[in-house]
Amino acid sequence: MLSAILVAIIATLSTWWVSHAITRTWLYPLWSGFLVALAMGEPIIGMKAAAYIQLTYLGWITAGGTMPGNLMVAGVFGTALTILSGADPILAPTFAVPFSLLGILTWQAYMTLNSFWVHKADKYVAEGNLTGIRMMNWIPSGVLSFVLNGIPAFILVRFGGDYATRALASIPQYLINAFSTVGALMPALGIAMLLMYIGKRKIIAFFFAGYFLTVYLHLDTMAITVFAAIAGVLVYFFTVDNKNEGV
Amino acid sequence: MGQEDNKNQVKLRKGDLIKHWLGGYSQETCYNYERLQALGSTQAIIPVIKRLYKTKEERARALKKYMVFFNTEPSFIGTVIPGIAASMEEQAANGVKVTEDDINSLRTGLMGPMAGIGDTVSQGIVYPILAGIACSLALAGNLAGPILFEVCYKVIMLTCGYTMYMVGYKKGKTAILGFLRAGTLNRVTEIFSIVGLMVIGSMAATRVTIMTPIAFTVGEVGINLQKVLDSLLPSMLPLLAVLAVWKLLAKGKSPTYVIAILFIFGVICSLLGILSIPVTH
Repeated sequence: MLSAILVAIIATLSTWWVSHAITRTWLYPLWSGFLVALAMGEPIIGMKAAAYIQLTYLGWITAGGTMPGNLMVAGVFGTALTILSGADPILAPTFAVPFSLLGILTWQAYMTLNSFWVHKADKYVAEGNLTGIRMMNWIPSGVLSFVLNGIPAFILVRFGGDYATRALASIPQYLINAFSTVGALMPALGIAMLLMYIGKRKIIAFFFAGYFLTVYLHLDTMAITVFAAIAGVLVYFFTVDNKNEGV
Repeated sequence: MGQEDNKNQVKLRKGDLIKHWLGGYSQETCYNYERLQALGSTQAIIPVIKRLYKTKEERARALKKYMVFFNTEPSFIGTVIPGIAASMEEQAANGVKVTEDDINSLRTGLMGPMAGIGDTVSQGIVYPILAGIACSLALAGNLAGPILFEVCYKVIMLTCGYTMYMVGYKKGKTAILGFLRAGTLNRVTEIFSIVGLMVIGSMAATRVTIMTPIAFTVGEVGINLQKVLDSLLPSMLPLLAVLAVWKLLAKGKSPTYVIAILFIFGVICSLLGILSIPVTH
């Protein structure tokens, strides 16, 4: 019961961005999923599930209120369902994807209905009612997010456990294997989307540098980051002279 | 505006500025399609308006201009806009000729470019690098992964956001023009892109955990295809998968379409025994 309430709160806040100083990272499956994992008392399994979901959505950029899939819903619901069903965390992306697609609808509903509160706020602005303006910014959108995200999350965690376990048990092993393969393949999307975003031709060689340093020298991510930072600093200083001195 | 005597100058206090900056982080609380961050940025500037104007009517008039369509990146870089707006409001309240149109045309003029730079910095660089490192730790079962992500992300976000807000307030609109013209930001962005690319290159090798279980015997000799591939180029299949998806995206296919393709491809290859995951992953 307590964990269902906590997950409902996490689901509400991951869409209702009270303050980016707090909730900016709740948008991302790695963090919101980790919070779900803590709330459900399965920190390690939940964290791994969240990380697998995160990798799938690594390159998803949300701009101007449009998003190609709802990653808040994917992170929270995908992690919760993985924990509930007792599935291997690598299956988490497969669970998360349908939620992220359904989540597009709840996101659109949220973004559309919130316009009403802005109209109400117009009146308070005209009256110079500062408290009214603040109330309109926070309260109705929070209630709306609770209805759209919090209540479904509560129902899933409170009543979905048995159903999820039974559903998972009824999936034959060869399909579990197939879904695991899909889960292993999904990070390719997140990585490729980032390549689309930052993979400009003149610096693309660094992508391969990272790849070969890993496969041949077996460096871990931290080590790669250190060398990448050094490479970045070198590039910065070796190119600044060209421009300033016109060489 | 502008009737006040020079002796009665109203200055914004540090506290007002900090409240305005922090209030801007709630710019997307009532996010909506119609006017996006309009209500949020109106709400954020209340402390500034409260300090500068005493009557309800003056406050209402000052706030009204913020209720127009507004959308930028509000956390890392776009905070420069409310910073500039605060300095312009202060000038207007002290008799300098700054009209509502001046303030709003500046805000709408900057919101696009700042969103472009801000989204690149936050969503294209800071987030993937941190998330990439944190996911590696998390999948190794290390609880430091998500915690590191949360702490580093917030420290970078608040430092950038505060600095940009204060630059905007102190230097006004000249700040941002100089900033953009020098091209420093583009160069810094490029450096971080290099770090990002190396990290995701490493992730392409380790995080796409597919392999092939194909094995057959030729005469007496058993051949394990994965071992053959590994001797050619380790993690060759993951790299091919990433490059193939990149190609699809570059052709303009949507991410949702690619998910469907990956799903069907993965299921079929698994059922046919062409692809699998390593036994211990």
